Amino acid sequence: MSLDTAPPAEVPADMPPARTPSPSAVTKELIAKAGATRRRKAAQWKLRIGAVCTLIVIIPILLAQLLPLPDANHQDLSARRLPPLMDGHLFGTDQLGRDLLSRVLHGGQVSLTIGILAVVVSGAIGIILGAAAGYFGGWVDTVVSRILEAQMSLPLLMMLLLVVALFGPSIPVITFVIAIAQWPEVARLTRSMVLVEREKPYVSAARILGLHRIQILIQHIIPNVIKQATLVVLLLLAQAVLLESALSFLGAGPQRPFATWGRIISDGQDYITTSWWMVTLPGLVIVLMVVGVNLLGDGLRDRPRRKKKGA
Amino acid sequence: MTNYILKRLGQGLLTVFLTVSTVFILIRLAPGDPAVSYAGPLATTEQLAKVREQFGLDRPVLEQYWIFLQQLFTGNLGTSYSFQAPAMQVVAERMPYTLTLATASILLTAVVAIPLGVWMSRRPDTNRELGVNVLTIAGQSMPDFWTGIMLLTGFAVLIPLFPASGFATWGGLVLPTVTIAILQIALISRMVRREMTANFAAPFLTVARSRGVRNSVLTWRYAMGNSAIPVFTALGTRFAAMLNGVVVVEVVFAWPGVGSLIVRALETRDYPLIQATVLLTALLAVAVQLVIDLAYPLLDPRVRLGKAATA
Repeated sequence: MSLDTAPPAEVPADMPPARTPSPSAVTKELIAKAGATRRRKAAQWKLRIGAVCTLIVIIPILLAQLLPLPDANHQDLSARRLPPLMDGHLFGTDQLGRDLLSRVLHGGQVSLTIGILAVVVSGAIGIILGAAAGYFGGWVDTVVSRILEAQMSLPLLMMLLLVVALFGPSIPVITFVIAIAQWPEVARLTRSMVLVEREKPYVSAARILGLHRIQILIQHIIPNVIKQATLVVLLLLAQAVLLESALSFLGAGPQRPFATWGRIISDGQDYITTSWWMVTLPGLVIVLMVVGVNLLGDGLRDRPRRKKKGA
Repeated sequence: MTNYILKRLGQGLLTVFLTVSTVFILIRLAPGDPAVSYAGPLATTEQLAKVREQFGLDRPVLEQYWIFLQQLFTGNLGTSYSFQAPAMQVVAERMPYTLTLATASILLTAVVAIPLGVWMSRRPDTNRELGVNVLTIAGQSMPDFWTGIMLLTGFAVLIPLFPASGFATWGGLVLPTVTIAILQIALISRMVRREMTANFAAPFLTVARSRGVRNSVLTWRYAMGNSAIPVFTALGTRFAAMLNGVVVVEVVFAWPGVGSLIVRALETRDYPLIQATVLLTALLAVAVQLVIDLAYPLLDPRVRLGKAATA
C-alpha cells in the first residue's frame, strides 16, 4: 500500500504498510474512491468517448467533397437498393440507386450548417438579451422574462412546423426557426449568472472608476459568464441537429442542394422491410454524432476547472 | 387562494389568446392560397373566387380577424375545409387519442425514470453508473422518428407482437408509448439524478445521516421530498407539451391524434382546422400548467400559493 505523500527516506522498503508512519491516513486508494476523483475520471471518459463519436461523423462530413464517393444526387436505376458493401457502396444504395453514404455525408453538411448557424444565432440572442435582462433589471428584465415565459407555454414544434410549412423549407427559414426555439435556454442561464456577477466587487470598482454601464457589461461581466454560456450552446447544437432532422422527417426540411438526414430516413421508411439499411444507417449516424456532442458537453461541464497558469 | 387561481387563469387565457392571434397573423402573412389547395389546381378563376367568398377569405384581414374573435367567444371556429365538418369537432374527436398516448407515456416515464435517477444518484460516477449515464445520453440523442421506425420494424414487422399503426387495440398503444418514453426517461432520470445528487451533498442530509436515519428514509423522504417539486414540474411540463401533439411519433405510427391532424391541416392550409387545433391544445396545456402549480402545496408544505415573491 503506497501513500499519497512519499514516505520518509529512512523507512525500510520491506516494512509492513500498516505500520508505516504516515503524515495522513488518506491513502491513494481512498483518494481514487473519493467522489471528486471519480467525477473527474467520469468527465474524462465522457470527453474521450464524446470526441471519438463526434469526430467519426464530422471528419467524413467535412471531407465529403474530397472523398472518392459517387455524386449524392446521381441516380443509377440499375443499382437500386443495393445492400451495404456491394459494388463499392459502403452504405448501399437507395430506391433510386443513389449512394447512401454520399447522401448521408452531403446531407450532413447541410444539417450541420443549419445546426451551427442556428446555435450561433440563438447563442448571440440569448447571451445579449439574458445579460441585458440580468444587468439592467427593471423593465428590460420584465420584458425579456415575459417573452421567455410566453414562449415556454407555446406549442413549440407545432409553431415551428407552422412557420416552415407557411414560409417554405429554405435553409434561412429553418435556421431562424431553430434559433428562435433555442434562445430561451441560453437567455435564462446567462441572466441568472449575470445576476450573480453584478453584485461582485469588481463591478462596483469599475463603476467607481467611471466606466459606462454598457462598457462594464460588455468588457467585464460578459467575459466572466461567456465560458459557461458557451457550454450550454454545445448541448444546444445536439438539440438543433435533432430538431432539424425531425422537421425534415415531417417534410419541412431543406430539399436543395442535398436532402438532410431526416428526409433521407423518411424516404427510406417505405422500404424498411426489404432494405433495412436505408433507415438504420442514417439514423445511426445521427445518433453517433448527437451522442458525441452530448457527451462532450457533459464532460466539459463536469470537468473540474483548470488551474490558472502560475496559480 | 381564490385570487391566485383567478390571476393564474387570467394569465393563462391571455397566453392562449396571444397564441391564437399570433397563429392567425402568421397564416395570413404566409404565401399560398387556401382556396387553391381546396379547389384544386385545375379550378377556374370564378371557382376560386367562389371558394374565397364562401370561406370569407375575400374580406380585409382586419374584418377576418374580427369575425375570428367573434367565433372565438362562441367556440365555433368555422368549418374545416378538408373535413367539411366543424373544425372544433374534428379536433375534439382526435383529442382523446392524444390524451391517451400522452398519459400512458408520462406514466411509463415516471415509473422508470424516478427510480433510475435515484439509483444513479446513490452511486454517482461509479463504473456502473457511468454506463447507465451514457445510455441515458444515448436515449436523449436518438431522433424519435428513427426510434419509432426501428421499434416498428422490430416488434411489428419482424416479430409481429404489436400492431404497426393506428389504435384499434390496446396493443397499438405499446410501441408509440415506448418510443416517446425512451426520450422522456432519459431526460427525466438525468434531471432526478442532478437534483438528488445536490440533495445528498446538502448539510441537512449529513445531519440526518449522522442521527442514524435509515438509508431508505434518507433517500425517499429526505432527499426526494426536497426534489418533489422540480421533478413533478418537469413531468407536468413534459405532459403539457405532449398535449400539443406528439407530432412526430403520431405520424410514424399513424396515430389518429392531434399531432398528425396538425400536419395534415398545415399541408392543406386548412385555416379553421389549424386555428381550432392551436386553440384547443393551448387551452389544455394552460390547464395542465395550472393544475401543476396548484399541486405544489401538496408536495411541499412550505409553499404558500400566491405569496411567493418570484414566479
